[in-house]
Amino acid sequence: MTPSRPSFLAGLAASLPIAMGYLPIAFSFGVAATRAGFSATEAFALSLIIYAGASQFLALALLTSGAPVLVAAFTLIAMNLRHVLYGPALMRAAGKDGSTRLAWAWAFGLTDEVFGQALGAMARGQRFSESYMFGLGCGAYGSWLAGTAVGAVAGGGALQGWPAVSAGLGFMLPALFLALLLSILSRRQVPVIAVAGAVTVAGTLALGTTGGILLGMLAGAVTGLVRR
Amino acid sequence: MNVELLAVALLAGAANWAFRVLPTLARTDRLAPGGWLERFLSATGPAAIATLFVAAILPELTTDFARLLPVVTGTLAVLAVWAASRSVAGATIAGAVLCGATVWALG
Repeated sequence: MTPSRPSFLAGLAASLPIAMGYLPIAFSFGVAATRAGFSATEAFALSLIIYAGASQFLALALLTSGAPVLVAAFTLIAMNLRHVLYGPALMRAAGKDGSTRLAWAWAFGLTDEVFGQALGAMARGQRFSESYMFGLGCGAYGSWLAGTAVGAVAGGGALQGWPAVSAGLGFMLPALFLALLLSILSRRQVPVIAVAGAVTVAGTLALGTTGGILLGMLAGAVTGLVRR
Repeated sequence: MNVELLAVALLAGAANWAFRVLPTLARTDRLAPGGWLERFLSATGPAAIATLFVAAILPELTTDFARLLPVVTGTLAVLAVWAASRSVAGATIAGAVLCGATVWALG
């Protein structure tokens, strides 16, 4: 029997680990933004408009160091170039269920984690639906905005008295990526994963995190071109 | 509202929207079935997740035993719960809980 298409609520439920992982990071961003001299409204606006964690932290550093607007903007844009690959990869996994009628809205929520969660779910046999993508995206986006707002209002040092909670929340995203990796692991993809991982390490050591991520993804994807 | 911040946010946000939405709408995955583009795109997902895991775990790796141990126990918890339940959410939460519990136990 063909499984039914997952609902908005199923997507919202699947967003829970992402939302829990986003909260402390967004909270940290809110704190960092207010520490850098921006208002709580401005911190919230960055999360609302950009919605990309690493870019937002970089935006704070660039703007407070007096970088010109265009230089800052193009640096942030280059950081997120990898997202170009997510939509087509997701649509390919969706197969005949792939629908893009409302993609102008839900695809804005295709962050690294949302993409990984959706792809992992389809690798486990779940069908694609735009409702599910909306649920997944809303949970993650809502958590990102809520974490930013609370962090911006609370100010610095709110988790300093709770190191165990802070460590657990901080480990949420690496744990999520590892679980997602396990969920899509197959013999066919082992060379892709191994090359992507190795190149990410080398690229990060040589060029920094952004360069490592971009090179790792490209190297892994190019490895997939090799016919086996 | 700081005008420079708003300008940077709008430019970066518009680019993010375009990067995430336009390739999805263009359905570039339908090009050349069975060809090089299809193989490239099908490898993109696993490559991206592997890359993001490595990028997330790299800063946690240290020679300081007290900082490394929570990462190790958290990672083992993810592997164990995944092996037992095949649940992404369960494995993720177990990893975070054990990582935090290890920090608490180490004082």
